Amino acid sequence: MGGLTPYGVAFTRGVLRALSRPGDLAVRVGFYLIILIVTSALWRAALDANDGELAGYDRVALFWYVAAAQAAQLGPRPRTIEEVGDEIGAGTVAVQMLRPVSVVGLRIASELGEAMLRVVVAFVIAAAGMLVTVGAPHSTAGALLSLPAALLGCTLSVTAQHACGGIAFWLLDARATWFLWSKLVFLLGGLLIPLELLPDGIGNVAKVLPWASMTWVPGRLASGDLDPLLIGLQLVWLLIAAVLAAGVFALGERRLQVVGG
Amino acid sequence: MRVARVFRLAVADALANRRSFYVQVIAMAINDLTWVIFWLLFFNAVGNVRGWNGDDVLVLFSILLTSAGIALGLLGNSRKLGQLVADGEIDAALALPLDPLAFLLARRVDTALLGDLAMGPLLFAYASDHTPESLAIYLGGVACASVVLVGFLVTISSLTLFFGGRGEQADLGFQAILIMASYPLDIFGGQVKLVLFTLIPAAFVTGLPTSLLRDFDPATALALLAAAIGFASLGVGLFRLGLRRYASGAVWTQA
Repeated sequence: MGGLTPYGVAFTRGVLRALSRPGDLAVRVGFYLIILIVTSALWRAALDANDGELAGYDRVALFWYVAAAQAAQLGPRPRTIEEVGDEIGAGTVAVQMLRPVSVVGLRIASELGEAMLRVVVAFVIAAAGMLVTVGAPHSTAGALLSLPAALLGCTLSVTAQHACGGIAFWLLDARATWFLWSKLVFLLGGLLIPLELLPDGIGNVAKVLPWASMTWVPGRLASGDLDPLLIGLQLVWLLIAAVLAAGVFALGERRLQVVGG
Repeated sequence: MRVARVFRLAVADALANRRSFYVQVIAMAINDLTWVIFWLLFFNAVGNVRGWNGDDVLVLFSILLTSAGIALGLLGNSRKLGQLVADGEIDAALALPLDPLAFLLARRVDTALLGDLAMGPLLFAYASDHTPESLAIYLGGVACASVVLVGFLVTISSLTLFFGGRGEQADLGFQAILIMASYPLDIFGGQVKLVLFTLIPAAFVTGLPTSLLRDFDPATALALLAAAIGFASLGVGLFRLGLRRYASGAVWTQA
């Protein structure tokens, strides 16, 4: 891996780590498919009760939305915040601070290697499944663009979760934050319910919050809405999350050194 | 009772960091409210779906929260068992003069999930019809649901003893059963229902208890009881079988 930066090496190792455990990858993708089946059942029942259309989504648009949004969410390890918090609470992070590189940068790069591979695999499988069971998407360009959007959403999620996990520098524990985070993605991220189905005020606010950039944006693109501002919004939130993560870890590491951790 | 003493220690551990304890419990209560809000928003946008409305789902959710509070909060290691095995951290339990599985389950209280344990009964008190019969069915249903949940998690965690890995299948199984148990059983078609009654037994966690509350049927109650016994036996059996293949991780401090 000569020539790569430490972060590039961490990313590549993350990819290789995921590839070296095909069982884990299969379990995750299997879980993703189960979730797709369950949520599809819910939305099929809801569409049946509403003459086949909900807030502008018909069956094809809604199912492609669900597939892309769920694929983006499959990437990050579900307990990233908790794991970051555990490492900080147990003091493991003190050892990582001995390296001449950014602790949070290296950790994010490593997580992303695994996460992005999962997103790509899930996306390809879901797209094939959707083509067979639901039919072609309303916009082929939108469906294709939803893959990079899902990868961006995944990157944003991993980065922002590190920023949140850093709370453990002060609380020594970030477990509940993980539960809370996942529900924010479920609801305000549009993972469980497209944001267009929320009451107007809440839905419009949710669309500009970071969680929407993680899941709603890829879903929206896959449903056929080719709005370039959606990707722009993701990039803005990614920049903010990166600054926050770096800042929280810098402050936290200084605190750890002050108390002699 | 040695296991009871272990459990008392786990409770003391959970309460040791009071600030963290309260933050976790409150955060979980907010988390639960998020789900309640989701379902209210969903039924507001969609209307009744296959005979279910918002109040019905709140009762379902109260059962889920209470049973999750017991199975995942009071027996906090039930969802971490696969990870403990993967990291070789169960060695200390094997050397103790009590059942390793009982020790591991009782050893850790997950404070965050205690928020669920508090919210579940509150939600039931709000959404139920307030009759003694309903309360009895709720308590019985929650007891069976908790046993099914623990039995299922121990079962999938035990797979780490056979196939290795980092115990991620247990984490995903934990998420899968919670998510699936959050949905009304009636929205699913036949094939999915089959999965919910077998591979991921979410139907026994909320489906049947909620069905009993809506319309009590002795045969359904017996099926729920049988499922609880079945999954408990499967979990204990598979864990003990897997232990025969377990090689020490040489870690003695964190079981």
